[in-house]
Amino acid sequence: MTEQGETGEAITILLVEDDAPTCWRLQDALVKAGYEVRSAGTLSEARSALAGGAPRVLLTDLRLPDGHGIELIREMRQRFPDTEIMVISALGDEESVISAITVGATGYLLKDAFPTDIATTVRDLVAGHSPISASIARFIVRRTQGAAQSSAEPPPGPALNTARLTPREIDILWGIAKGFSYAEIASHLGLSKQTVPGHIKNIYRKLEVHTRSEAVFEAVQQGLIKL
Amino acid sequence: MSEIAAKISAKAPTNAPTKAPPRPRRRLIASRLVPYLLLQALIVIATVLGLRLLQPSDPDDFALSGFSLQEDGVTNPVTLPHFTASRYSLADPPLYTGVFTFRRGEAASGWSVYLPRFSNAVEVAVDGVVVLDSRRDANANRPDRNTPQIAAIPTSLLREGANEITVRLFVWGPLKGFLDTVYVGPDAALRPAYETRTLLFVTLPVVFSAWQSILAVILAIMWLMRRHEPVYGVLAAAMVLGVVQAFAPPPVPPAVTSRLAAVLLASAPTESALIVVFGVLFFGWRWPRYATLLFVPGIVVFAVGLIGGPPLPRILFLVLGIPTVGLCLVLMACITATAVVRRQDAASFTIGCAVTIVLVCWIQDMLTVLEIVSNDRIFVSRLSYSAMLVAIGAGLTWRFARALNQVDSFAGQLVTRVREAEERLKASFAREEERARAAALANERTRLMRDLHDGLGGQLVSIVALSERGHEGATITDAARAALKDLRLVIDSMDDIGGDLMLALGSWRERASAQLRPHDITLDWRVATPQGLPLHPELRPWHVIQIVRILDEAVTNAVKHAQTRRIAVTIDTLDGDQGQYGVISVTDDGHGFAVSGHGEAARAGQTARGLRNMRSRAARCGAVLDLSSDASGTRVRLQLPQSFPDSDAAAG
Repeated sequence: MTEQGETGEAITILLVEDDAPTCWRLQDALVKAGYEVRSAGTLSEARSALAGGAPRVLLTDLRLPDGHGIELIREMRQRFPDTEIMVISALGDEESVISAITVGATGYLLKDAFPTDIATTVRDLVAGHSPISASIARFIVRRTQGAAQSSAEPPPGPALNTARLTPREIDILWGIAKGFSYAEIASHLGLSKQTVPGHIKNIYRKLEVHTRSEAVFEAVQQGLIKL
Repeated sequence: MSEIAAKISAKAPTNAPTKAPPRPRRRLIASRLVPYLLLQALIVIATVLGLRLLQPSDPDDFALSGFSLQEDGVTNPVTLPHFTASRYSLADPPLYTGVFTFRRGEAASGWSVYLPRFSNAVEVAVDGVVVLDSRRDANANRPDRNTPQIAAIPTSLLREGANEITVRLFVWGPLKGFLDTVYVGPDAALRPAYETRTLLFVTLPVVFSAWQSILAVILAIMWLMRRHEPVYGVLAAAMVLGVVQAFAPPPVPPAVTSRLAAVLLASAPTESALIVVFGVLFFGWRWPRYATLLFVPGIVVFAVGLIGGPPLPRILFLVLGIPTVGLCLVLMACITATAVVRRQDAASFTIGCAVTIVLVCWIQDMLTVLEIVSNDRIFVSRLSYSAMLVAIGAGLTWRFARALNQVDSFAGQLVTRVREAEERLKASFAREEERARAAALANERTRLMRDLHDGLGGQLVSIVALSERGHEGATITDAARAALKDLRLVIDSMDDIGGDLMLALGSWRERASAQLRPHDITLDWRVATPQGLPLHPELRPWHVIQIVRILDEAVTNAVKHAQTRRIAVTIDTLDGDQGQYGVISVTDDGHGFAVSGHGEAARAGQTARGLRNMRSRAARCGAVLDLSSDASGTRVRLQLPQSFPDSDAAAG
């Protein structure tokens, strides 16, 4: 069985992970699911792998021996905007995931996920469904609350711009944080179940700060800078 | 009794400040009193000299002192100034007749007749035509005012050469009549001398009186606002009396209003008695009751004036009132001297000097009345007294302002102190907070260590044991997964969920689903209300960890022992007596197990231990665990408390 993209070719994945056992495990699960996987143990290996062309999916760890995965994500986002980017997340690592989201990641994968879940998550992402866990959702909505209370001290962790999220999107995040399924959220909010993943994808997009000029635009929008 | 008390209380402050044995004290008194008395002697000399120097000069070129006096039918030549006998009738007054020479050539301006001093009233005629009647001038009728009079002589009246001038002197006793030298000459030469005397003896008293009235109002207001300080009220009363005396029109004997006269006459002794009261109160002593006798002369003069005819109150005033004034001044001098010795402050010193000056003026007046000294019968005590009152009033106002400043600075100090106290409080609060935080951190650390030790530690040890014995990978995987799950639970519980248990359950659902998926068991998640569970602000991480472990245990049991295909988790909110409470149920569709009488499973020992653990965990959170099992499945019902307990009582 081979996973195929819209063009019919096999979906290529660049897996960047320095811990060999973890790397094998993920690679096994993905290859078994039919993906074409190239793996890299360091940032420079990943860069040289990219010389051969853009993968469909980048699956990267954040802590690498010769640098941080965030750099790779940022480069990837600029050079190959169509590539889906996933972060390999350890335990209780919501902050890193959020940091990755702000530079353009659209999904994450738990290191200890079951092999079937690994493949499912990648497949969902390629299909346009960004995964989001209760703890990530919780992290984001807490930031929206902090912004609303405009407390003097910013909460710890990466800077996160939640100003562009609509009330509906925040409601969806609350639902996810409380463990409701997409169907339950949809029925509570009077939505169609199919639209919820789209909303989540939008949330990811909105949390990303693309460029410096966009950051300035954001600041003006929020009234932080007066022109 | 009260006098003794007064004496004691008057003496008490004496001992307090010095606190020295008698001999040094006596020496102290002497060392303070002698310089003071010397200073007062100097002031007496200065006052006497000053009075001499201030004696207004008159244009002697135009003096007219040779007169013939026709009195009681007898005519005698007299030289002015001249005293006549005291009399009580205005009929047939003494008549002075004199001659002056007028030369038309000298008269660039008109001529005037100028009388610097007379008592009590005069009617002046030139060549038989009346040019001046002082009885119509209210000020001139006051014997204590030294009012001068001037009148222009119509030029048509004057003849070239000798002209006759007659002066009728009206006298109302008991004082003797007095007529100072009469001046007749060009108005331009006489007017300045007249103006000087008017300024000194008419305008200045009015200015002082106006000043007194203002001070009276100020002091009265102070007293009204501070009733416990009668000193202001007393001084205000004295000033009001003085002002009334100064501005009330004095009675002219032909139109006798004897009652008003009595009031005016009684004012001086009453005023002086009030000043003594003021002195006593001002220096902080108690007013001795017998000292009220000082007011008696004033009251007597007043009463006699109300009842008796015109001359009697005046006689009484002379023999009773004026000595009372003198007595009061002497008393005042003694009081201030004592105050100077005891207090050595500027206020007592100033008042003492002022009293000395007034006393000297009073003695001078007495000597004048008794004709022992001749100073043209100018009375100065009233004037000096007014000046003293003004000085005292100004001093009091100054003291009041200083007191206000002290209050201000006190308020400032208070503000500073409050700020300091606030700072200290803030610091101690910060310390306290720091300590509380440290304690909370220590608690949290302890809890975390226990949680890690309870779960993760044991699991890692069993992983080690399993791999050492060469077990199959699957068992090790299970143990490692359990360890990971536990680690995730501990980490999750660290997160602040703001009292919303649903946020913790949301994460748990994900983990449970992931755990069940390989076993092909469906996790049926049902939340009865859209809000989920009620909020618990008192919810702590250790509550969360216990609840999640109970749920984990329930699910694990169902997976291991019940051979179930579907596990349902139902989250519901029920209404209790004291509000809402949550209920979490975990139900499986397995074949169940027997629950013994004690509620402990009679199956495998491991399960029994698991159930016991669940119960104890529930008890620690104040929750109630209900377990029922039959052939159609097992149901674990966890009823959450309405309020989570604060301390982990059962933790041990």
